[in-house]
Amino acid sequence: MIEQITIKNFKSFKDVSLKLGPLNLFIGTNASGKSNFFDALRVLQGIGYGFTIHEILDGKPKSATSEVWEGIRGGSAGIGFASENANKPTSFRVVGKFPDEGDRSFEFIIAFSSKEGRFREERLSISGDIIYDADERKREPFPRVRYYGKGLVKLGDADQDRPVLTQIAREGDRAIELVVRALADMQRIDPSAALLRAYSQAYEIKRMGEHGENFAALIRMICSDPGTKEAYLSWLRELRPRDVDDVGTLKGAIGEPMVMMKERGREWPAPTLSDGTLRFAAIAAAFFQPDMPGVLTIEEIENSVHASRLRLLVELLRSRAAAGKTQVMATTHSPIVLAWLKPEEYATTFYCKRDEETGESQIRPLTEIPQFNEIVSKQPISDLFAEGWMEAAL
Amino acid sequence: MSFRVLVIPEDPTYNGYILQPLVERMLAELDKPTADVRVLTNPKLNGYPHAVSAIRGDLIDRYRHFHLWLFLPDGDRASDLGSLEGELAGQGVHLFCCAAVPEVEAWLLAGHRDKLSLPWGDVRQHTRLKEEVFESFLKEFGDSRSPGGGRERLMRETLSNYRGLLSVCPELADLDDRLRTFLSQSA
Repeated sequence: MIEQITIKNFKSFKDVSLKLGPLNLFIGTNASGKSNFFDALRVLQGIGYGFTIHEILDGKPKSATSEVWEGIRGGSAGIGFASENANKPTSFRVVGKFPDEGDRSFEFIIAFSSKEGRFREERLSISGDIIYDADERKREPFPRVRYYGKGLVKLGDADQDRPVLTQIAREGDRAIELVVRALADMQRIDPSAALLRAYSQAYEIKRMGEHGENFAALIRMICSDPGTKEAYLSWLRELRPRDVDDVGTLKGAIGEPMVMMKERGREWPAPTLSDGTLRFAAIAAAFFQPDMPGVLTIEEIENSVHASRLRLLVELLRSRAAAGKTQVMATTHSPIVLAWLKPEEYATTFYCKRDEETGESQIRPLTEIPQFNEIVSKQPISDLFAEGWMEAAL
Repeated sequence: MSFRVLVIPEDPTYNGYILQPLVERMLAELDKPTADVRVLTNPKLNGYPHAVSAIRGDLIDRYRHFHLWLFLPDGDRASDLGSLEGELAGQGVHLFCCAAVPEVEAWLLAGHRDKLSLPWGDVRQHTRLKEEVFESFLKEFGDSRSPGGGRERLMRETLSNYRGLLSVCPELADLDDRLRTFLSQSA
């Protein structure tokens, strides 16, 4: 799990640091920096994939070993914080714990120049011990890497346009592989109703696509295990009590699956289901994937979901994040979503605000907004959010 | 027009998964199988004092259109519920209160007595039932992947022997009797 992220000189962030938990919500007005934070996560994912700086920022076509990678919004031209020197590097520091490895923790620091398209500094520590470091690459034809594995210091060269992390991972060091996985194993979910209504190309999948590609194949997988199906179906029944009797798939001409829900005894194929039902079904299904990601990101979770059912969405995110396998990061504009949070979740609910003069974004946990803890014990958090109290208090 | 019932829990976050099927079943037994049962979620109540304050305050105008209100709190702090019913009756609201002994979770556990290590009498007198009995029960027999951790399925299992539930939770038997009388008089 990623416990802390520090971001410097990236888009609207000059210098922000966040302590994260299992469930993390990001709120704030439009263009306050929420999506920029998600872009930062995507950069880290690209680093975990071992892509070059330009590939991470500007995109990468499909290859024999990887799918199409969409670049970061704005591409490499708009990566640095606006008022900073163009040569100043963008940097990230990530602190986390390995799943199922007790208290073992890692700290990964990386800095890069988007203008030059190369990494300038990198360091990995595991539970306080430095595993490798690499810096001042500018003075060398290739970056010099000091690797401290097994008590020996080894010097080596590495490609300067790719992260050292994934180059060293080829050596087979398990701890490094776990860090690579912690960065790379993120999944963004932004379901498109059109794709959710379509037949799936695949029959069996481990993960659904970002926009809901192969949703029907995932439902087919979920329904293949009666216990998993019952648990998944129970969320749909809560969404639409008395309506949804069953969920499953129909077969196309060559056996390809399409989602179907049975309501009051009648089968309704996906094209006849509402956008809201399909979107909720897809978000719920994302938590029942055979291969769950380390981090699941969902923007504007409330989209298309009726206000009276948002409590269900919050419970879904909370309960699945609490299971410990997947860390959830989501944005919302809904006061009702906030109303259903527990007070202990305010520490990982982050308010994003952009300074009108400098353009700099701040991200603060609600518990660190002056007087928040006192006020929220007297006033509904939904009212505070809706009236812009947090914006004014920060 | 459906018979509309507003269920008021102390805290709707998880109690709704127990109370909704319970009240639906109770009304079905009283020839109201299509009753429209809603668990109050707005305002999101947070404990007994908040619930009582809301019942005496904002809820009256907002939810007056419900034919019946049921306030189903935990019994450990509930008091003087008869007066509350009288106050609301004076304002034209049919409110019935029924405090769970000792807490709402006991109504779910009533159908799973064979899985408990405590005698039922001890469960009814437990001062920390939720924390010390129910949570471990839910962890073992619920499903953390389901809404409410599986409370609703477990409650439906309890309701498969509805008469048995009433026999070990006399406060529910009293509520059943009162509702029967109320419905027969208003028919």
